[in-house]
Amino acid sequence: MTPDSKNSIVVKDITRSFRSVKKEEGVRGTLKLLFKPEYITHEALKGISFEIPRGEFTGLIGANGAGKTTLLKILSGLIPPSTGEASVLGFTPFERSIEFRKQISIVMGQKAQLWWDLPALEAFDLIRALYQIPRDTYKKRVEELTTLLDVTKLLNTQIRRLSLGERMKMEVIGAILHLPKVIFLDEPTIGLDVLASKKLREFLRTHNQREGATIILTSHNMDDISELCKRILLIKEGKLIFDGNPGTLTRQDECVLRVKLMSEPAPAEIAATLGIAEDRVQKDEEDPSTYALSVQRSRITEYFQKLLGQFQVADIGIQEASLERVIQQIYQG
Amino acid sequence: MSTETMQRSGTWGLEWRIATVRNGMKEALAYRGEFILEMVGSAIVPVSIQLMLWYAVMQGNPSGKFAGMSYQDLIAYTWTSLLFSQVRGGDYDFSLIEMIRTGTLSNFLLRPVGPVEFLYFKSLGEKSLTVAFCFGLGLLSCLFTEITPLHLTMGLFLALLGNIIGYLFGATLAAIAFYWENAFAALMVKNMMVALLCGELIPLSVVPEKYSFVWRSTPFYLFVYGPAQVALGKWDYLVFFRETGIACLWIAALSILLHLTWRISIRRYQGLGG
Repeated sequence: MTPDSKNSIVVKDITRSFRSVKKEEGVRGTLKLLFKPEYITHEALKGISFEIPRGEFTGLIGANGAGKTTLLKILSGLIPPSTGEASVLGFTPFERSIEFRKQISIVMGQKAQLWWDLPALEAFDLIRALYQIPRDTYKKRVEELTTLLDVTKLLNTQIRRLSLGERMKMEVIGAILHLPKVIFLDEPTIGLDVLASKKLREFLRTHNQREGATIILTSHNMDDISELCKRILLIKEGKLIFDGNPGTLTRQDECVLRVKLMSEPAPAEIAATLGIAEDRVQKDEEDPSTYALSVQRSRITEYFQKLLGQFQVADIGIQEASLERVIQQIYQG
Repeated sequence: MSTETMQRSGTWGLEWRIATVRNGMKEALAYRGEFILEMVGSAIVPVSIQLMLWYAVMQGNPSGKFAGMSYQDLIAYTWTSLLFSQVRGGDYDFSLIEMIRTGTLSNFLLRPVGPVEFLYFKSLGEKSLTVAFCFGLGLLSCLFTEITPLHLTMGLFLALLGNIIGYLFGATLAAIAFYWENAFAALMVKNMMVALLCGELIPLSVVPEKYSFVWRSTPFYLFVYGPAQVALGKWDYLVFFRETGIACLWIAALSILLHLTWRISIRRYQGLGG
């Protein structure tokens, strides 16, 4: 694939399958496995294509096992695709040329990349040597990044002694010290508290704006996606089923009716009146006579009429459905 | 890396190697007690076996010689083999298999340096402390034995080449893990062969001449037996240079083999574990 001046990442019809031994239960199954193994092929990615322009912050979302991490592994050059082509900064990722590796970075929320038993500063110094960052630039960058993430005082603490949030901040610093042009973030806020997640999000947004790095973020935290990503790629069972602005996704025939009634009926009663599933009716914890109803936008007049016909309505309003809710519905099919 | 980039950095790749060795050393020192216990513990078994064996052999031997060696010769061999067996060791090939199996190899594959080389320099950092300690002990023993500092240094040099050979051999075997998730058995077999053929349990000179081709056809004697012979002055300079040449040939051959096996088998890597 030839280098693309506009796009950082170009993916054309990528598939990836994994073959594994079919394991059966019991001793008989184990013995059978020993003499006559049966193999099963799992298709993790089924013909995915997209392009990501330089400097874009893109969210890659999908349920567990949808194929997100497999796609990140292909784009970062860890594994090759079974078929199809991928190009990152004009490089074929799996060739893993040194120039390519110098320009990318990956942060895996569930895997530590810094040396567990050493202070972060020692690990950063090794990164400086690995990426040949001039010493004065390195010093300035460490100071700046640790100040932004509020971890300067922890630079000499062993990584294993840091809290999860502090460790993740160090991991992110370690991943961007060499100012990569493409950054893959695989669930960087997993397990972090609200404040730490927020701080990290602010930091990533600033970094993306200042350095113009292309960032692909996978996360199950929809706050990460909605606050940072102008575009999302939604993968379901190995297929790309949505590629666009998160706002477009939430506006797709889904909205929330916020209703305040004069009485306090059970959610099941409201659901039965409207003919919707009970889990689409949520009672406000602070005001028991207020309900949030997730409904189809195209049938909103019909719902209004049913509500007014059955209950005494004190107030009513329409809200956009949350990204989380929409994604949840897509996952559930 | 282009020549221009290397020249601009002014280090020709030396800087990252030094930094990796330094961090490996610091990591080993993070658990000082564990480090010392491991070193002492791993030396006790082969030394005890040798001392008991020599005692038993000499008790029933009126000539006072065993395979041409006196009791003093055997004790001196035990001592030097103890020093060099510490230089040879390390389960870094087991670590590689574990990394391939669990997917932690991904951390190293994405750095702009070769992952196997990077891990070697990391292990070298850990090993350098042991080497320095053993060299110090060896120098101290020069005061009480016939070992000279020059011979000891030459022996240590050969042992370090043996260390490289050992890592290259193990790392090449570790590539099996790309095909066979639990490939530890292959390394266990290799380790048993190495223990027997490197001379850390018995001096290889006790092996009858007509069977000496067995140990001579492997590089393992360069780990302990060869260095011990050099340190004890049993091999003259000519033999030392010849064996150094042989060690370099092994290093070159294994480097090529390692490169080829990893290049082919890395396609099977799945980077498991999220």
